Order: sequence, then structure tokens, then C-alpha cells
Amino acid sequence: MTAPPVGRVVATELKPSTPHQFHFWTARESAIGIGAIVRVQEAGRTVYGVVTDGFAYSDLVTPMHAVLGADGDPVAAGQEPTARAEIRLFTAAVLRQMPEEPLQPVPLGPVWLADDADVLLALRMDSYTGGERSSGVPVGLYAAGGLESPVYLDCDFLLGPEAAHLNITGVSGLATKTSAVEFLLTSIFQTFPPHKGSVAALCFNVKGPDLCFLDRPASLSPEDCRIYARLGLRPEPFPDVHYYAPLRPDGVNLNTLRTNEALAANTEPLIWGLREVLDYAEVVLNRDDIDAKADAFIDFLAERVVGREYQDDMLRGRAFQVQSFADLEEFFRAIFDFMEVLGKGGEVWKTHHLATIRKVRNRLSNISTRSKGLVTDDGAANDLPWGSFADRSVHVVDVAGLDPLAQDLVFARIVSKLREHLERRDLGVDHVVVFVDELNKYAPGDGPETYVRKMLLDLSERGRYLGLVLFSAQQFRSQVQRRVVGNAGTGVYGRMDADELATPGYATLSPATKIKLATLPKGELMVRHPHFTQPIFVKFPRPPVLGGREGIERYPPSGDVSFTEAVARRLRSLDRRISPDSVYAAIDGRREEDVRRALSATRRERPVDPFTYFVACLGKRVAAEVVVPRRGIPAVRRGDDGYGA
Amino acid sequence: MRLAHLADPHLGVRQYHRQTPSGINQREADVARAFRLAVDGVIAARPDAVVVAGDLFHSVRPTNAAILFAFKQFQRLRESLPSAPIVLVAGNHDTPRSAETGSILRLFEELGVDVAVDEARRLEYPALDLSVLAVPHHALVAAERPELRPDGAARHRVMVLHGEIEGVLPTQRHTVEYGGALVGLRELGIEVWTYVALGHYHVQHKVAPNAWYSGSLEYVGTNLWGELADEAEQGIRGKGWLLADLQRATVTRKPVPASRPIIDLDPVHGEGLGPEVLNKMIQERLRALPGGVADHIVRLRVYDVPRHVARELDHASIRAYKAEALHLNLDVRRPEVRRTVGVGAPGRRQTLPELVRTYLANRPLPAELDRESFVRVGGELMDAVERDLAGA
Repeated sequence: MTAPPVGRVVATELKPSTPHQFHFWTARESAIGIGAIVRVQEAGRTVYGVVTDGFAYSDLVTPMHAVLGADGDPVAAGQEPTARAEIRLFTAAVLRQMPEEPLQPVPLGPVWLADDADVLLALRMDSYTGGERSSGVPVGLYAAGGLESPVYLDCDFLLGPEAAHLNITGVSGLATKTSAVEFLLTSIFQTFPPHKGSVAALCFNVKGPDLCFLDRPASLSPEDCRIYARLGLRPEPFPDVHYYAPLRPDGVNLNTLRTNEALAANTEPLIWGLREVLDYAEVVLNRDDIDAKADAFIDFLAERVVGREYQDDMLRGRAFQVQSFADLEEFFRAIFDFMEVLGKGGEVWKTHHLATIRKVRNRLSNISTRSKGLVTDDGAANDLPWGSFADRSVHVVDVAGLDPLAQDLVFARIVSKLREHLERRDLGVDHVVVFVDELNKYAPGDGPETYVRKMLLDLSERGRYLGLVLFSAQQFRSQVQRRVVGNAGTGVYGRMDADELATPGYATLSPATKIKLATLPKGELMVRHPHFTQPIFVKFPRPPVLGGREGIERYPPSGDVSFTEAVARRLRSLDRRISPDSVYAAIDGRREEDVRRALSATRRERPVDPFTYFVACLGKRVAAEVVVPRRGIPAVRRGDDGYGA
Repeated sequence: MRLAHLADPHLGVRQYHRQTPSGINQREADVARAFRLAVDGVIAARPDAVVVAGDLFHSVRPTNAAILFAFKQFQRLRESLPSAPIVLVAGNHDTPRSAETGSILRLFEELGVDVAVDEARRLEYPALDLSVLAVPHHALVAAERPELRPDGAARHRVMVLHGEIEGVLPTQRHTVEYGGALVGLRELGIEVWTYVALGHYHVQHKVAPNAWYSGSLEYVGTNLWGELADEAEQGIRGKGWLLADLQRATVTRKPVPASRPIIDLDPVHGEGLGPEVLNKMIQERLRALPGGVADHIVRLRVYDVPRHVARELDHASIRAYKAEALHLNLDVRRPEVRRTVGVGAPGRRQTLPELVRTYLANRPLPAELDRESFVRVGGELMDAVERDLAGA
């Protein structure tokens, strides 16, 4: 309390103080700005407020008096013998009153700039920080007038169960969305209290190299390091990161920008088979396709045909064993052949119309063709470690190179699987943060109802009870399904587009706050949180992990390598002792399809000696022997052959 | 380029107790006869190559007579087709369990037969533009399987393999040959071969247009009635070998006439019938056979005959028929027993397969096992045992 007051509350008939707003004047040199937190203390009442608007004016009645006083000469205006009196008036929104009852207008009293303790009280952070069971997660530094104070989010309201989800809005390219999420995840992983359980993150990398280097340290400036220290965090990359990316159509090269050999150890292919796709077949059907008939036939396939023995003597004598897309195609072929034989009138097979069967077949074969690297035909899948997610682990699924339909499939399946496992409490962790960028695209406010949008909506509405938390980001919040963003307990805003700020969703912000948002520098954010009654501006440091652009420069993608080299790399990622030459020798002359199958089996099995296992899967080579015809075989002696002839 | 495809001769197999005048088991002689006829047919067809896809002998240590016979037949084949490659692979029946036992099949190498016993062999015949990958049973059950892919530039690429191809045989088949190595369809890679000659399954069966089981040359399995039922279901009559034209991609069946009729008579339903009526019905069925039962292999099932009625049947007459036939299986079955279960609660007593299924459906299982398939496999095995017992 040694610092002098910076201003004093004023209230006039035209600008009265209310329980939620007050005005105060300051000296011209005051450090007060938009977003500053102030304290008013008078007669046993303390009021905390955040500055939302500012005014400056003088004793002039009209602007004409100023023009006439300077004879219309702007140069002369600056040479007046006495400086004209100028008043600085600020409007502040009340953050907290102490005592809270009775709720009264803000008293006329001195105004101080808030210090650390004030910020803690003003933002009600005293209820969840400090003590043995603290649940505060640093989100950044509040800074004003040379003072800096850490701002914490309440993890009960960030990761559930009280409220959950976080939504970030901001224009692209200003280190807002991705950087903020990376920093926030770092903060959560380092400070999430053990008594709240375990937490993991699953991020979808939807474009470029944004999230491709979460395990690599960034070179931070001393200022960034100072902010980390002030927030009580360590500027370290994530220690346990796993990358999953589909393969390219060649079946060995990964469809990601994270192909540098130095990064291969924790980058795995994401491969799904027919069963994995069929469970979420609804995703691959468009709006017109979704009808009870297609649903019924897909259910029939899933329950009676795929993954089991299906016998139908009308179709063929032996049972179908449908494990892969190729097997499924064979099954469809048999149905069509059978229907053709029936000829006219043969349009219904087991109550399913031929047109429905053809439609489902086309959609399913479409996904296997368009997403060749994701969907395998040999039935062997390589999936996320369901059931064994580790505490503080990050799983990044790189879908940037995938067809949009396949991206939808990946989203739908992974989020649904997370939900299933969290419902059963057998995922391995108690909370999972799912980060989805470009929410405009996946959960748009208008346009057709899609499976992915329904799924994101469900996640945002029910996820917090399960520990499934959605961290979402988009450029234009106004264009996202209102219920998806509305369910986000915490909102983060980076620099915004003026047009976006003009939409009704931002009507509660003052014009000054909007101006500040439209000109927000890099590394600053506005945060809304259930404990904060007003949005708060904070500074956050650069994330401790390598950014996409930097990462690409330091670890340039190796590009698509030849089939043999790609196989060698994949095997070496399982065991560094395997020499590329031994792999080349082992696969020389083999069919690519066989090599792919052996590689897939090795990856799935993870044997102690991957190379020996791989070679065994390929099968022992059988050397050719040129047979020289033998001559001089003695002629048969006619007579009894022992059996009577 | 024509290729003769034979499989599963099972020389030396012995069934029933009838002997030939020279003291040889009659069925052993039948099987030898079938092989001799097949060799005759092959010689007459004059193919460019001959393959025998396993189980030449019924056992690892065949009788001297069987060895001598086989040697003479191969010698005949070699003499008649001096330039045709003859490829022989070992099947599960003629593969010794330990290497020290050695294989009798090597004897035929002396006749210029190319034999694969332990390891797969890739045999190149440049004059015929032919490459044959010969895969014996042992190579498929070894820790490291051979690569089942063609190599080289030969125009005709043939694989000879003894084993069971997973998922291609009818699931409801009545006969199962045990002990064969399982090979996946994808591992086999049928599409890359000109022709795949398979052995092990005794009923002729098309796996793909270019992949066939030629079937055995005689009814040598443990359940010949099952084989007959499978043949009937698949519309096949009798045994034989295959002649594949590799250029025209055609496969022709070459039947081998059966040594004797094998007849499964329509069953008699004896519910409520006395011994006299049943005797009459049995005799009518047996007499109705053209030429009688003499030297035939016959089965007659008689259902729903209580024990006391069965005891009263005319066993002297039945014995006479049995003496006349090579084998007469009069399969008299008692009615299904219904018993009271619990206290006064009527209920049917479970049959053994039902009991096994119920037990498997309720016993504790490791979580990773799918109970449904576990019970199904158990049930299938039980059914197979039942069928074998019925056919024995």
C-alpha cells in the first residue's frame, strides 16, 4: 500500500457510479490503460475494476473556441502562453466488491493500480490458487503500469467437471491460436495438480507443419524465459509426444511433413482396416445418403458379415470371411452376380434393395480409394494406443495431407473412441484435451448437418463429465456453431479482424476494448473465464516448442524416398541397429505388396528382433536350381508290381 | 504346355479286414490300382510335366510292397515320359517328425524325380520355360516359411503345395483332413502363378481358375461317407487327377474308375417297428442293390431302434451280408433318449456335442478370447469327431 493512488473516482449526475461500473480521473502521465485492473478503497469497502474505456477533454466549450484562440493557425496553437487544462477520465467495469453484500455503487475514493495480491482478489483467483489443493493453471501475465501479475485459470473450469473446454479466436499468422494452445498445454502439463488425476492431449494437425515439432525445444529470448520464471513454469518441450500420420499411397512413405530421419523414432503410421472404417461408415455417407435403408445395410455388414464367417449358399458354396476391403468387394460381387442370375425381379437381396447395396458399396470403396494410405487392404491396422495413454503424453494425429472425407473419418473415429474409453474409464488417463483447429470448417454455423459437427457438438455438451475436453480454434468465432463455442467455459481472443468484432457476438465489449483487440500485439490475449466477471488481457511467452516454420528449416522433410529406403527407415525406427544395407538385401527382388505386409506385421508385433521377424514374414528365399534332365534310367522289368498287375 | 496334377495317393493305406488272394489288404490293393490307373492315364495323356502334390504314401514308414510298387510306377512314368519333369512333394502323411528318420521319397530321385521333402525347392526347366516351386508340408510348418512367390523369367510358373488354404474350403464340409499346414490366401498369392497344384483336401476342389485341389485317387480318408457327401454337394462324382493346359488356362478332370462301388443307402426309420419288419426292410434295401453287396462298401443307417429290438434283429443274416460285402456298416442307432431332469421336470438329456457346447459357453475364459468363436470351434471339432465315429 506504499504506492500512491493513481486517480480518484468521480460520479456526476450524467456519469454516476453504479454497482457494476464507475469512472475515475487520473493525472495526464498516469500508466492506466485499457484493460488495467484498479482498486478503489474507501470506508471499509474495496472495489476492483478493469478499465474498459477512456476519455480526455478540456475546458473548451466547442472546438471553435480553440480555432479562434489560435487564429486558425495550428502552429500558433502550440505556442499559447498557458497550457489548456486537460482531464483524463476512465471508465471501469467492476470485477469484485469486498464485502460482496450489500452490493452498492462504487464509493468516491482514491484509485490504485492493482498489484499481485489485488489481481489475485480481483479475479477471484484466491479461491483456487494457493493452499495444498491449488487448482490454478497459469495462462499469462497481467501487465499494467510496470506491474506484472500471473493470471491463473481454474482447472476445474478448464478441464471439468465444473465447466470445460476452451475456444480461441484470432486472425491467422500472429502467433495466437497454435502458440497459445502450445503454451497452455505446457502450463497444464506442468501444473495440473496430482489430486485431480492424470491428463493427456490429442491434437489434430490439420494444416502445414504447425504441430509437427512439439517434442523439439525452441530458442527463447531472455524476456520469454523471464515470463516463464514469473509464471513458475519451465520452458521445456513436451517430453512424451507420439505422432501418427497416414501413409502415402505407396504404403511406406508417411504423409506428413515430419519425415526427417531425426524425428522418425516417435512418428508412426496411422493405418485402419475395414472394421475401423465400417464402425464409422456414417461419416462417409453424405446427407442425401443417410437414410434408414443404408443404415440397415451397414448394420447388417457390421454385425453379420465383417470379421466373421458368413455363409450363404445362394451366393456361393463356401463361407465369406470378410476382413478387408478386397474381401468386401468379393462379397458385393457375389451379391451382384447372384442378382444378375435372378434377372428381372431380382432387385431385393435379404430385404435390402440393390440400389442401396450399390450405394453403400460405392461409398465404402470410395474411402478405400481416396484414402489409400490411411485405409489398408490387408486388414492389419495400426492405431492409437487405446487403453494405454500415459499421463502428460501428447498424441498428434497429422491429417493435413488427407482428403477431407478421410479427415472427417479420422476425427469421428478418434473422438468417438476417446469417448468410449473415457466412459469405461479404461483409456489410461482421466482427462484428455482434444485440440481441433479450423473449427469454422468442421463445425460451421450454417451448412448441412454433418457427422463431425454432430460429434463436436456432443463433445462440447457432454464431454466435461467424461474428462473429454475440447480446445478449439478458429479465425471467425461468429461462423462456428453457436452451441459448440457457447459451451466453451473459457474463451481466448487474439488479434481480431474488425469485421468479426462488428458481429453481434462481441456487442458486450466496449468500443475501446474492441479497438485494443483489433490491434493486439503478438503474444497478448484477452481471456474470458468463469471466475472473471470481465475479460482480462494477458501476455504469454512464446511456446517452448519449435514452431512449424522454424521446425521445417531445422528438420527439413526428407521428401518421398524410394520404396526400399522408406522400408529401411521404418525398420530402423524400430531398431537403430538395423543397417540399411541388410534391409536392401532382404527386400531385393521381393514384391512390394509382400514387403508392405511383412513391414506391417513387424510394426504390429513389435518383436525383440524386428529385422529377423521381418525377414521371417517375408519368407525364406528359395534358390533356383536348374534341373538337368537325367538320362539312362533303367527300363522297367515287366512283371508283378506287388499288387497283382 | 500341359501339366498332370496328382495328389494324395496314400499308397499303403489299409482299411477293413478283407485280403486279396495273395494276402494283401484289399483296400491297399484298391489304392494301388487307382494309382496305377492314374499313371496309365498320365502316360496316355503325355503331359509335358507331372506333379504329385503330397501324401504319396499313407505313412512315414510304408510297407515294402508299397515302396516297391511306387518305385515301379514312377519308373514306368519316367520310361514313358523321358523328358517330362516329375515333381514330388512330401505331404503331412509322409513327412517324418524328426530329421533322423529320413524320407523314403528320396529313393525316387534315383529315377530322376525331383523330390522336395524338408525344404521348398525352386526347380527350373529352361527347355520348357517352366519354373516349379515345390513346397512340402515340412517347409510350411517350419519356423521360417519359404517365400511363396515366383522368381525368374520363366513363362510358366507353377507352385506345388501340400496344405490347407485358409477359408477356401466349404465350412460345412463333412470331411476334414487333419494335420495340414494352414496357408493364407494372400500368402499364397494365387494371381501371380500360372498354376497352383494343391494337395491335402481329398475332394477335387477349384480354389481359383488356376488353383486346384486335385483330390485323392481313392477314398482313403477317415470318413469316406463324409467324402461322398461332400462330392455329392459339390456335384462331383468319383476320384481322379487333373490335366492343366497352362497356355490355354484350362483344367480337365481325368477320372479314375473306382475299384468297387461305395454305396451309402437311404436310411431306414425304425420308430415303432418290430424286429421282423425291420429285418425285412433291411434285407429289401440290401437286395435291391444291383449285383448285391458282394465286394461293395456299403452303409445302411437304421434310426430309432431301441436296444431290445436291435437285439432281436436277424444277426445271422446280417453276418452273411457282412461276409459277402467288402465292408457293410449297418449303423443301427437308438432313439434319442428323453429323461426327466431335476424334480419331475421333463427335459431332454443333452447329447455329448450339446453338453460340450454348454460347457464351453459357460466356462471362464481369458478376456481377449471371443467366446462365440471359441464355442463354435469347439463345436466343430466335436462334430468332426462325431462324424468320424459314425463313419468308422
